[in-house]
Amino acid sequence: MITFEAVTKRYPDGTVAVDCLDLEVPAGQTMVLVGPSGCGKTTSLRMINRLIEPTQGTIRLDGTDIAARNPAQLRRGIGYVIQQTGLFPHRTVEDNIATVPVLTGWPRRKARERARELLTLVGLDQGLARRYPHQLSGGQQQRVGVARALAADPPVLLMDEPFSAVDPIVRAALQDQLLSLQAELRKTIVLVTHDIEEAIKVGDLVALFRPHGKLAQLAPPEELLAAPADDYVAGFVGFDRGIRRLSFVRTAGLALGTGPVLPADATVAKALAAGEPWILITDPRSGTPRGWADAVKLAALPGDAPLGQAAAWPLGHTFTVGADSLRAALDAAVLSPAGQAVGVDGDGRVLGVATFDQLRAAIQAADAADLPDAAVAADAAGTAAVAAGGREVPRT
Amino acid sequence: MWSWIGQNWSQIWQLTWENLKLGVLPAVYGLVLSLPLGIIAARWRWFYPPVLTVVTIVYAVPSLALFIALIPAFGLTDTTVIIALTAFSLCVILPNVVAGLRAVPAAVTQAAVAMGYGQLRRLVTIELPLATPVIVAGLRVGVVSSISLATVGQLIGVSSLGYLFIDGLQRSFPTEIYVGLFLVIVLALVCDLVLVAVRRALTPWLARA
Repeated sequence: MITFEAVTKRYPDGTVAVDCLDLEVPAGQTMVLVGPSGCGKTTSLRMINRLIEPTQGTIRLDGTDIAARNPAQLRRGIGYVIQQTGLFPHRTVEDNIATVPVLTGWPRRKARERARELLTLVGLDQGLARRYPHQLSGGQQQRVGVARALAADPPVLLMDEPFSAVDPIVRAALQDQLLSLQAELRKTIVLVTHDIEEAIKVGDLVALFRPHGKLAQLAPPEELLAAPADDYVAGFVGFDRGIRRLSFVRTAGLALGTGPVLPADATVAKALAAGEPWILITDPRSGTPRGWADAVKLAALPGDAPLGQAAAWPLGHTFTVGADSLRAALDAAVLSPAGQAVGVDGDGRVLGVATFDQLRAAIQAADAADLPDAAVAADAAGTAAVAAGGREVPRT
Repeated sequence: MWSWIGQNWSQIWQLTWENLKLGVLPAVYGLVLSLPLGIIAARWRWFYPPVLTVVTIVYAVPSLALFIALIPAFGLTDTTVIIALTAFSLCVILPNVVAGLRAVPAAVTQAAVAMGYGQLRRLVTIELPLATPVIVAGLRVGVVSSISLATVGQLIGVSSLGYLFIDGLQRSFPTEIYVGLFLVIVLALVCDLVLVAVRRALTPWLARA
């Protein structure tokens, strides 16, 4: 557990980077510090491993004041990942990862074995062990950075904008990787980002900072979206927070219709008999979706022709029932030419389709079941009341 | 020409060896002095501008004038030439040590600190290795210019390939001058190639992929 007690960082020129910050990062959880540039989030992070010393206040790690610890010793027990990776260009991937074990006196052979285990853990091929960092892609370098931070199995991990320098697809993959690693390792993680989406995706708790180092709100992500403490928080979270909040609602209970779903070997006559404006054509063998066919155009084909001959519109995308959130389902419906979201199982087989009406019913049901009345009232009144968190949250 | 070379082979070899010594030793001493000065200058920024001013002034002094200035203290000896050329080498190597250390990416240094490196260990195992290519580049210039300037030492009687220039001029015997010139260039090229090889061996991570 990391505790900030009235921590202030004031620079000699009078700039206040962090202003009397009280914060508690529970052990085994991911705390995301988010806010605009100059809000003190990175300064706060760097005070934890004493790269920056606070002007006032105390930071404790598991109850011990870190100011009393030897800085080098303290740092070897805290993993550190930064945006620019900071990998040593002159060392191979395995030697980069083995850095802290070697510093703490492991024999090089054992440290390299550990490095190879970590390569696998972060989803990299062991064949990369002898490469130099510049021979890797940006995403691979960032994974090596995470592996290096984890090498000595520190209980605490500090991550400073770790995924900001890679493209959105790689970023999403790295975020997913972090979530699965964290599910396994349960480290105490403090992650800094300016990206509220990232904060909501990876954080168990989100600390949103105002400029000049004041905490605006500290809450679990779904609470931040449901009940922003004030206009600043609501503005930072964004105008589409209502939609994004659906990221936390599962699709497991969503009602799905199968009326318009037909295999490609069914006849046109049978499809028209279904009385649907759009027909979803599936693969007769695998059950995977092929595309949407317009009933008006189908009527021009002979009744005994198989559906496979009809021109089909592309799907947009599908959502996996149970695993994906209601937000993904809503997005699938918006992108679909038929205005219906196609739900599939883990193997891509069509389970059914959901219309906007069905989605709206699911959203209302989730609101009624999930949102504590107090939070809804607080939201309406614009006060800072925050509902107690702690429930299990599905992720997109 | 070949007969002259054949007859004077042992003297030419002797002069070449002298010239090599007068070229390489100052560059090595220059490097040894540049490293601590450069490390200090890279860490404490205020230290560098005054040092750089002195270095620039020294570098502007003509080599012959510097030799003459050192004669009262060290006489007409190798020492005089080596000291003067060491000063010149320092002038070209020191800025490279500083530039090389300053070019170590801030993220790399910060990551090293955050992983628990002490200052000395960071310098020796991270910063100096990364600065090696730039430092060796300075060393190459230092060696080549020392080999070339060493011939001027002949004017104060310190033997080097410069002897062949002066003797050839006095005897109006161009062959001797050409042989001397050729050997100075070969010596410089060989030393330069050796340093390139050393740099490659020290920096395997820069090998072309």
